[in-house]
Amino acid sequence: MYIIGIDVGGTNTDAALIKGDEVVAMAKTPTRHADLFASTSTALEEVLRHCQGQEPLRLHLSTTLSTNLIVEGKGVPTVVVAIPGPGVNLASYQFPFPLIELDGYIDHRGREVSPLDAGEIEELKARIPKDCRALAVVGKFSHRNPSHEQQVATALSQWFSGVISCGHRLAGRANFPRRIVTAYLNSSVAKQQLEFTVMWRRLREQLPVPLEEIVILKADGGTMTLADSEERPVETILSGPAASIMGVQALTSCAKPNYVIVDIGGTTTDLAAVVEGKVLFARDGATIAGNKTLVPALLTRSVGLGGDSELNYDRERGTFHIGPQRAGTPVCLGGEKLTPTDAAVALGMAEIGEKERAVNAWHIWAEGLGLTWQELAQKVIDAFTAQLAEAIEDLYSGLENVPLYTVSEILMPPKVRPEAVVGLGAPAEVFIPRLGGILGLEWEIVPFAAGANAVGAAAARTTLSLTLHADTELGIVTIPELGVREKLASPISFDLHQARQMAEEKLRELAVQAGYSSEQEVYIVEEESFPLVRGFRTVGRIHMIRTQLRPGVRRIRGGGNG
Amino acid sequence: MEAMAENKPSVGLVFFPAFDWAISPTHPERQERLLYTRDQIQEEGLFDHPAIKEFRPRLAEDEEILRTHIFVPSLAKHVTESHRIAAGGTILAADLVVDGLVGRSFALLRPPGHHANRVVHGSRGFCTINNEAIMVDHLRHRLGPDLKVAIVDTDAHHGDGTQDIFYNDPGVLHISLHQDGRTLYPGTGFLSERGGPAAYGQTVNIPLPPGTGDEGMLMAMERVVLPILQDWQPDYIVNAAGQDNHYSDPLTNMNFSAQGYARLTELLAPDIVVLEGGYSIESALPYVNLGLLLALAGLDYSKVQEPTWQRQTVSQSASLTAQVAQICAEVLSLWERRSEADLEEIFGRQDFFERRRHIHYDTDNIYEQQQEYIRLCPSCAGWRVIYTVSNVYPTPSAAVLIPWHVCPQCLKEGESHYQRERENTEFGLVIWHDPRTDSCKV
Ligand SMILES: [Zn+2]
Ligand SMILES: [Zn+2]
Repeated sequence: MYIIGIDVGGTNTDAALIKGDEVVAMAKTPTRHADLFASTSTALEEVLRHCQGQEPLRLHLSTTLSTNLIVEGKGVPTVVVAIPGPGVNLASYQFPFPLIELDGYIDHRGREVSPLDAGEIEELKARIPKDCRALAVVGKFSHRNPSHEQQVATALSQWFSGVISCGHRLAGRANFPRRIVTAYLNSSVAKQQLEFTVMWRRLREQLPVPLEEIVILKADGGTMTLADSEERPVETILSGPAASIMGVQALTSCAKPNYVIVDIGGTTTDLAAVVEGKVLFARDGATIAGNKTLVPALLTRSVGLGGDSELNYDRERGTFHIGPQRAGTPVCLGGEKLTPTDAAVALGMAEIGEKERAVNAWHIWAEGLGLTWQELAQKVIDAFTAQLAEAIEDLYSGLENVPLYTVSEILMPPKVRPEAVVGLGAPAEVFIPRLGGILGLEWEIVPFAAGANAVGAAAARTTLSLTLHADTELGIVTIPELGVREKLASPISFDLHQARQMAEEKLRELAVQAGYSSEQEVYIVEEESFPLVRGFRTVGRIHMIRTQLRPGVRRIRGGGNG
Repeated sequence: MEAMAENKPSVGLVFFPAFDWAISPTHPERQERLLYTRDQIQEEGLFDHPAIKEFRPRLAEDEEILRTHIFVPSLAKHVTESHRIAAGGTILAADLVVDGLVGRSFALLRPPGHHANRVVHGSRGFCTINNEAIMVDHLRHRLGPDLKVAIVDTDAHHGDGTQDIFYNDPGVLHISLHQDGRTLYPGTGFLSERGGPAAYGQTVNIPLPPGTGDEGMLMAMERVVLPILQDWQPDYIVNAAGQDNHYSDPLTNMNFSAQGYARLTELLAPDIVVLEGGYSIESALPYVNLGLLLALAGLDYSKVQEPTWQRQTVSQSASLTAQVAQICAEVLSLWERRSEADLEEIFGRQDFFERRRHIHYDTDNIYEQQQEYIRLCPSCAGWRVIYTVSNVYPTPSAAVLIPWHVCPQCLKEGESHYQRERENTEFGLVIWHDPRTDSCKV
């Protein structure tokens, strides 16, 4: 079985062909934003040439389609129909999209406090503007009771032909404003995502080798089917950074359970944290172009520090501050302003472009300061490394402050500190060893650093999760992602064990239905179980179980230089 | 949402629901208490609102707790990890404000503390150690003994523990609004309780009749609390924010609503808010905490409302309003004329003022007897000695307490009294308590 991973990035489109645990071929081609399909096909064809025989082939695709549509505000005109109930005034969130409020109130346990108003739903036809192409329906506490969203969506579908996204289908967790944003974004990019999948389905027919399946990369570093990406396109945002992180996980030979991933690029450095062998997730969800969503996403921290960053010299202190602005092309590559890359090239730490050009430029600058040019360039290398170390410290001190809600966790907080640095990116060879030195940590630079993202896409596996909320006092179980809210057969005996079992069964069912192979283990990511006491008597329990297919990556062999 | 962002978050939230801790399985102080509050705040998106930043509490150290309390027989016997987290979280909330990291802070945590007295033989009113008092002493330790802190206790129960700890402390103004002690635990908090000889008038009690709603509570804020604060000019205002005045609370008989709490918070503009009681965990707490948090952050709370709210439940009768107005007038007049009081008449002309008390610990069913002597000193608050004995620790103990601003004479007298009692074989424990130097030793 061959797997091709393709990551369509802002600058380049990378492709990797893997077989078993080996990288067979890699390709890189400039991304043509005007014709994404063409540049993606080019990269695909490059690696396809290395496929031998008629072995089956899978394609793992990380696209910037949704990300770009959202960043550029080019989704279709979308209106949100919200059912906020009492609480925070919806107007105070200042959402940058049109929103219609309906009456109706569901409380924290999913009980209907006041019903929808049939008249208001009727009026929606007149209130939704004619140019609106997609709708999102989102209610407060819809993850505890999706019925209001379902009723409104059903009524709307009688006359509205565009996409209608419901909040509960997209997120089983709390956070009404994020659920609104998530459903809005999902609806606004759904049409273009559908065009995209239709195109790939057609391409599949034309390939010289049999393409068994095409899957799409998600922000959580996992994959989803084309069909699921049509339903939940918002989950494909920010899959590029996730693909790089998955690539590091696939390629690293680091045996430590905790390490920090440092991806040094031209403009920015992206950090991610691996704790006990798993990449940490963003606490609530992805943030894209200022939009806070509930889309599960790997936690990444982007720092304005890269090979092409601007150098600011403080003459009084004799120190550099690097970034966050970009200086432009390095001098060694014909640019105007000196950059960290020029420091590395001049000092012989890297071989890029014309070393002489860089040395001359350093020479001129240093003369005016009464330093040797080597001293000046070395200061840049040191400042870059120190700033990186600072950013890492900042990330981890934040992680160590993540709120904890039980006495036992406060007493034994999870150990998150890294024991190693794993780097990638062009300038990694220069900075990662030094960074390891400053932090007193082992270090490693992953092989195929230039195409780790494509390898990561190829190595990624299915992710799928659901949330089960059982309230045995009310005798109700809710699984928002499935739109399920039903009576428990025997609420009195429904204990935590049964709740776990039910959650796992439902997830397995969902996986089979959605066409995922059942080889992946189902496990519990989060659970809560509270006794409910009313008037000094235990009247029931609330169980919350979040279960998912165990994520992870295929291990890929590094090819010797790891 | 982004438009509301400022340079620094306006509210630091130290949220600690202690989801694995209960006094006993069906006790009001149980795992479930802040569950629905968590659900509500999370669903409203306030944990990641730019105006609000959440912080993880830390554990309070022995010396921070001993700066305030005297334990019989020992700290270790009473103080558990959960108490340390609640006290440490409250200290953190204050530090966030002092360090300028946030504008205001809210220690939304449990277990509570305002019924915990200076001397601790066990738990009273669900409280073992006094979170606010430990925090206030921490602030003075950090910022100097001249600091003036006002505590406004809006829990439905009288803040008797906090009152006890600061009743002779000129650096603290303690105002408690509560359901009249003749109708509710702990049965104290009357107008006549006005503080010790060194801080007379700085203990202010506003007992409210059962049935008082938003109108009466806000009247007391506007007519009494705000003018007194304006007059006294504290450096920091602390709100001991119990939420059991709520109309749905099972333990009290008051008629306050979430809107009332939010408005109260807006009027009071406290620097640090600390949760106390409140046991209507589903019908009140999610909405009260939401309203309070929004008001504290200066956000719109106008649409916050309990599912069970009805105008008639929270309205109060005209006669009740008149009664509250009368109490307000009396309290304000006592405050205004506090300097006219004849202290010799009240506290005597001897060298010492003596106070004897019986203290009941309802949670642990302990009876304590206390005898206290305060040195009536013209130059400082005076050294004190407390003799204490209880049915569980029947060997008497003695504690010598030194005030924050002690005069040389009182320090000398206190030291020699401490030495004398140490030689007295009658006592199980003889404790030296000096918050200035952290030399609180047994
Ligand atoms: Zn209370
Ligand atoms: Zn004195």
